[in-house]
Amino acid sequence: MIIRLSKFFFFLPGLLLLALSTGCSTPSEPVVSDMLLTNGDEQLLWQKAEEEQRVQESSDLIYQDEKLEAYLNNVAAKLQPQTAPAGLSIRVKVIRNAYLNAFAYPNGMIYIHTGLLARMDNEAQLAAVLAHEITHCTRRHALRAFRHFKDRRSFLTGVQQALMADIGFTGPLAAVSGYARELEAEADRVGTELMTRAGYNPQDALSLFDHMISAIEQEGSEEPFFFGSRARVRERIDNLQNRPDDRYPHQRPAIKNSDLFLAKLGHLFLDNARLDIRLGRFQAARRGVEKFLRIEPDNTRAHFLLGESYRQQGQDSDIQKALKYYNRAIILDPNFAAPHKALGLIHYKKGQRALAKKFFESCLQLSPNASDNAYIKGYLRQFTSSEEG
Amino acid sequence: MKKVFWVTLFLFAASCVACTHTGGTSKPTAYSFTIDIPAGWRKIDRPYLLVTKDSPFLQNIMVQNRFIGKSFRYTKKKMQREMLPEEAAQIIIDEYASDQNIGNLKVLNNTPAEINGHDGFKILLTYMGPKGNEFHTLYYGFIKADTFFNLRFTAGGRQYFQKDIETFKRMLNSFQIIKANKS
Repeated sequence: MIIRLSKFFFFLPGLLLLALSTGCSTPSEPVVSDMLLTNGDEQLLWQKAEEEQRVQESSDLIYQDEKLEAYLNNVAAKLQPQTAPAGLSIRVKVIRNAYLNAFAYPNGMIYIHTGLLARMDNEAQLAAVLAHEITHCTRRHALRAFRHFKDRRSFLTGVQQALMADIGFTGPLAAVSGYARELEAEADRVGTELMTRAGYNPQDALSLFDHMISAIEQEGSEEPFFFGSRARVRERIDNLQNRPDDRYPHQRPAIKNSDLFLAKLGHLFLDNARLDIRLGRFQAARRGVEKFLRIEPDNTRAHFLLGESYRQQGQDSDIQKALKYYNRAIILDPNFAAPHKALGLIHYKKGQRALAKKFFESCLQLSPNASDNAYIKGYLRQFTSSEEG
Repeated sequence: MKKVFWVTLFLFAASCVACTHTGGTSKPTAYSFTIDIPAGWRKIDRPYLLVTKDSPFLQNIMVQNRFIGKSFRYTKKKMQREMLPEEAAQIIIDEYASDQNIGNLKVLNNTPAEINGHDGFKILLTYMGPKGNEFHTLYYGFIKADTFFNLRFTAGGRQYFQKDIETFKRMLNSFQIIKANKS
């Protein structure tokens, strides 16, 4: 399917990136209770948002899990303010992307990456991110940023920056890289109020942000997204810690729903772990799989992915760990072909031909039509010719 | 015209592109390979060999010898000299799959391949660029000592892919290593 994007695809991100520049004044605050779509520019923003959402949803980026989506929307519904602009409908969808991000379109559509969800441990942390994004919508931050910057001559610079921002398909119109500091601080402040009102303790979000900073440091590079930037995450922590007025009332037990959260995310942990393995982020992949194993300790695919994370890491000391997980996967499901192939590769590289042959043959038997079988057949042909020779 | 501009930017990032018309055999000393550039194709001045007939966004052939330790743009995985061809192929697929500018990636084929007597891989990919254009890439690669050699043909859509695939294969057959990296 051919998807055509308008030139606006590159337009607003440039403006929003410009909003990050230091020294910009606080965008004027619109009246929150205004009816939406009464102004030309807001109408334009919504149209462009819808265009971009159509692009997102016609690609393979949307993570398809109706039950998960229903759960996320249920949490979002609990967080919605009573003073939301009329006509604004908050909806949440998941994007298949291992980078740490969530972003909101002005029309209330919130996208959250699998990578960010996989870093969370409980519903309170999810609520913190959703409340922040909901506030961007209800306080019309996109419109405020747009009005603030639309007349600037730096428009072309913005377009160039957007091109170089490496944001690709993932939410170009939305504030993928964040709004001006004042708007983000407002999203934090109002977001914590929404969380508290819904029965979550905003302090529970701190551990998520701490994890995220550790992850960013561990990976050694920052991502081109709001929640993938150490400085931006640090701002979230500071804003949470510096608001003693928002302390959660001790007499009221706060909602965490850790078990429910893990159960609802379920296979997302594994799907995202696979993306992390593709990116070579093996530790992050293992953390996700280990969370899933708390729900399903005997899941074959989970053990296989742990094996993959160690084998592909490529260190000699990791191979023993990989062998352990692949063997466990085969015990759990002898008909799952992938660990047979992986074991064949390990033994082949070690020069253990008999073992390699055994696993390659069982792999071919279990998955005779796999797309990469030509490699296995090639290894087996080598064995045959060397035996004949 | 704007479409051409944006897609060209997507393919080659925003930098100056100087074009010169060439033909015959290219033996640049900076490269550790020789390859025949088809008549009528022009070379584009890049750190690697890049040629096109009409326009880079319609069709281009890229040939590159890169140090195996060099980082890729997206995946943190690196080539290693003892890697099997299919392991190297997996890294290339992972790199494409992790590219934020690519959507609907499909691996149509992933098989062993021999390139100038070296055991390597061949991958056929289709994907969509950020402007919605469909691309086809046929990617050959192999590791020799400290060098990852790769030869790829990318075309905007099936029509351009079919039109020039034989040219790419002729170019591939003419590929020869003239200087191996230190081992």
